[in-house]
Amino acid sequence: MLRAAIIAVTLGLASATAFAGAHQYRIVVDGLACPFCAYGIEKKLNATKGVKAIEIDIDAGAVTVTMAAGGALSEAQARQIVKDSGFTLRSFQALPGPPGKAGN
Amino acid sequence: MNNGIGSCTLAVVAALLVHTPSSAHGPLFSPAPETIFKDGTEIKLGFHFEKATGGGKQEREVESFVEVEYGLTADWQIGIELPYVWKEDGGENAHGPGDVTLATKVQFWQRDLPGAQYKAAAFLKVKLPTGDDGRRPRLGSGSTDAIAGLATGYESRRWYWFASGVYRANTEGAGNLEKGDRQNLSLVGGVRPVLSGYTEPDIVVMLELNWERADRDRLDGVRVGDSGGWELFASPVLWWTHRQYAVRAGVQIPVGRSLNGNQAATDYRARLELIYHF
Repeated sequence: MLRAAIIAVTLGLASATAFAGAHQYRIVVDGLACPFCAYGIEKKLNATKGVKAIEIDIDAGAVTVTMAAGGALSEAQARQIVKDSGFTLRSFQALPGPPGKAGN
Repeated sequence: MNNGIGSCTLAVVAALLVHTPSSAHGPLFSPAPETIFKDGTEIKLGFHFEKATGGGKQEREVESFVEVEYGLTADWQIGIELPYVWKEDGGENAHGPGDVTLATKVQFWQRDLPGAQYKAAAFLKVKLPTGDDGRRPRLGSGSTDAIAGLATGYESRRWYWFASGVYRANTEGAGNLEKGDRQNLSLVGGVRPVLSGYTEPDIVVMLELNWERADRDRLDGVRVGDSGGWELFASPVLWWTHRQYAVRAGVQIPVGRSLNGNQAATDYRARLELIYHF
């Protein structure tokens, strides 16, 4: 029983560490058709606290957001930013990685 | 600029121009359903050229304008257009601010798909009598006019189409002249020949079909015989965009018309817009 508890605590800490260490997010956006129109997403993400870098892949309809150390982006935040930019959020995924390093 | 137009007669062409609320992301000579993103600002510097011949005269006009649009929300924008006009008529010439226009557009329907959007919007503009209608030739119509319409469209990574309808209600202005109300219907198709990346220059080519109809003018309440009718234009348009900048250019070439009486018919129109949004 003690062994099971230790394992459970270890797994819980590992999971928490993975999310706390999420350094990048991949946001997939519906409606992203033209580069000129996508600028709104870039502007709003750049104005979001903790955002360090943004990469937009128009063909994939995906935005990769890299956060500064300790920064985090919630799905609700991403959804609102995408909506205010004139598009619709399709999916939001945290890309786990160790704190301070880019996730893959 | 005073000598640039040459010796020619100019009718009150400006009052006939329907500067529909275009956006960088849509047709050039007809309205688009696109609205700017929330808290976004778009600044446009535009130039419009028009030449018409007939009724024993030749007419030319050059108009420049600055237009500013702001996104109150992602679906609702407001804007203002400030024109500066140059006119020459029978040796008389004048230049100065024209009639200011206030505009608003609401996007009431949107369907987003991977790499594509369907949209529909309604818009309203009010043209104010701020241009000097005491100059010769007049720089303003002296009337307050309302312009309303609907626009819808589809845009994807490769293909575009738009459709729109506009109605302009003119009121009586300077010299007891009431320009006839106007109706516009447009269909547009476009293609992006090369799928460019987000940070690369982007080009889209379009072809617009613009049908314009005007009711007869009224002078002192009496219909003017040599006024009103319809014209149909085929309008090739080119967009070039890069990051926050856009350049749009196009010409309207008449391909059909039925004008009442003896009046000047449009030879061509050309338009150039320089756009920046932030």
